[in-house]
Amino acid sequence: MIKDIVWLMLSTLQRTFRKKSSWVLFFGLPVAGILVSTLLYGGAGQPLLRVGVVNGDGSERLAADTVRMIGNLKEVKLVEMDAGELRNELASGNLDTGIVLERGYSEGLRSGKPGHVGIQSAKGAAVTSYIKAMLNQYMDNISAIGRIAGSDQPKFDKLYAGFQSANFKLVVNTVTDISGAKRMSYQSIGFLIMFMMTSAVNLSELILVNRENRTYFRILSSPISARTYVLSNIFVNLCVMFAQILVALFFLIYVFKLNVGMAIGPMLVILGLFSLTSVGISLVVVAFSKNSAGAGALQNFIVMPTCLLSGCFIPLEIMPNAVRRIADFLPQNWVLESFEKLQSGASLGSLWFNMMLLFAFGLMFFLIASYKFGRNNDTRNFV
Amino acid sequence: MNVLEIRGLTKKFGNFIAVDNMSLTIGEGEIFGFLGANGAGKSTTINMISSLLRPTSGEIKILDKDIAKMSRFAKLNLGIVPQDLAIYEDMTAYENVSFFGGLYGLRGAELKARTEEALEFVGLADKVKGYPKNFSGGMKRRLNIACALAHKPKLIIMDEPTVGIDPQSRNYILNSVRKLNEDGCTIIYTSHYMEEVEEICSRIAIVDHGKIIAEGTKEQLTATITDVKDIRIEVKSLVEVAEDQLRLIPGVRTVKLDDHEPVIRIHSDAAVDNLNRILKQLMDSGAEIRAVEEQEPNLETVFLTLTGRNLRD
Repeated sequence: MIKDIVWLMLSTLQRTFRKKSSWVLFFGLPVAGILVSTLLYGGAGQPLLRVGVVNGDGSERLAADTVRMIGNLKEVKLVEMDAGELRNELASGNLDTGIVLERGYSEGLRSGKPGHVGIQSAKGAAVTSYIKAMLNQYMDNISAIGRIAGSDQPKFDKLYAGFQSANFKLVVNTVTDISGAKRMSYQSIGFLIMFMMTSAVNLSELILVNRENRTYFRILSSPISARTYVLSNIFVNLCVMFAQILVALFFLIYVFKLNVGMAIGPMLVILGLFSLTSVGISLVVVAFSKNSAGAGALQNFIVMPTCLLSGCFIPLEIMPNAVRRIADFLPQNWVLESFEKLQSGASLGSLWFNMMLLFAFGLMFFLIASYKFGRNNDTRNFV
Repeated sequence: MNVLEIRGLTKKFGNFIAVDNMSLTIGEGEIFGFLGANGAGKSTTINMISSLLRPTSGEIKILDKDIAKMSRFAKLNLGIVPQDLAIYEDMTAYENVSFFGGLYGLRGAELKARTEEALEFVGLADKVKGYPKNFSGGMKRRLNIACALAHKPKLIIMDEPTVGIDPQSRNYILNSVRKLNEDGCTIIYTSHYMEEVEEICSRIAIVDHGKIIAEGTKEQLTATITDVKDIRIEVKSLVEVAEDQLRLIPGVRTVKLDDHEPVIRIHSDAAVDNLNRILKQLMDSGAEIRAVEEQEPNLETVFLTLTGRNLRD
């Protein structure tokens, strides 16, 4: 029996993957889905803040030092320009924010009364807050020196020189925000789930295609039993599913370099369990369809809506409560929930309930399909 | 040794009895013609012999082994050539035969040799790398046969292997059937072409309503028809022929107008002298008679007499 299964598997794989369209369908589309997901949910990286500076305080040392300080900040790209240019660049979106050091800026700092500075942006406080905080901190320090030195210029110079060369200084360390990357990888898994399900139906559909071209019955008139034949199809399906998972994760982690926020092992386990469910669903689709066209229609009726309702495309949090309740009955939701928990630091062991549920879903679909297959007794198409 | 033995075979679909207590024995080296109109029960019988359908009751033995108990053995010795093509269009001729041969446990050099042999046998040795989608109807039919031969079965069931093909391919297939038989294969052959069955079959069974109603050699079957005469009348045109009026003539059993030529075939009781009345009826209706011939009963006469139907009905 094992030899027969292997023979059927090799033949099916050979026939399937000699077509370029199969490579696109089983591997190209999931990768494209991940790419789309990264584009849709992208923007979670650390782009440079484009800052324009108008130094209206001429060649004053304090103003020049301020410009230098801003330029030395991490994640900032500084460009000096005049007031007109700044307005234009901000309006056209080429700059995120602009700083205007007006005449008297340096004198204000020297006298301990900071002022003559303005921050402009067309993008709001979210963009200006960082620059504003750094600038305030710097100005507060200088003006404090100015107040202490009073009118004593040599004392100011000494204190200021000490400040500039101080051992202590503000070190800006950027804490990476991985929530966006997590969201991207979460939605990428959503796309992968959908493609796994459609791929599974496509492969199981071969049973129907073989019925349509009558080879199924020719196979059954050989020593191969219907059980052996269907088992070979299931194994082919599982092999392709696993390969699909590996390719998708490879692209997700190593090509698109997304921080998925979890280890690969647990991901493989959860997706591996879901592949059983996918194959189970695909067999149910095939068992209840009379031909491949019917299976295609049933696939559209099942896969897309359930993926949508379970949050594969749109985060479940933004959906109404009623939809969330429906999602509880969909296996895709339990995969996504498992990933969410893994991203939050949960161990694989703590997800035993989710894994049991996924296994139960798979088992249920396999049982339904085998019951239905057992009742199919239609040989009319053969002889 | 009997290659196929059927005892009391019955298949019911709900209240409908497709095969009704059928019994049949086919010996080694026979080409056995299995004749029946559509719905007569021959396909259901073949499906049960192929283990695709489970009988409601009865027993089928292949090479003296009960297929219910030794299904694998039976299948290993059975080759099926289905009426509808059962080949993969996206596999080459070689891959098709090799794949189906592999289902019977053939591997490696043996599979390669048997595949080449089967393709050679059906005259496709030069098309091993060709795809069936590029084949003619006759070539596809031959490939369909080759797929059933690689494992060298003792019993081959051929269901309408010559449907819809050119005369050249048809002759090739008929010669192949004879050659297979000479090589020791037992063949069950079904066809809608009565002349094919007459030409190649050593024994024939006529099936109707799920039962075998006659069985024997062609000579034995035609010899049973002693009370029927077969009258062939050629006319200028069939337009003037009043078919219903001909049926009313005493002794006339069936009247058939040929689809292809202006010929009327009348089966009539041999004991009733009605030829003059038949001819008078035709002339009265305006038909111009060209020729009249009273023929010896043939297989078609037998079939028509026994079933009341044409084979192609």
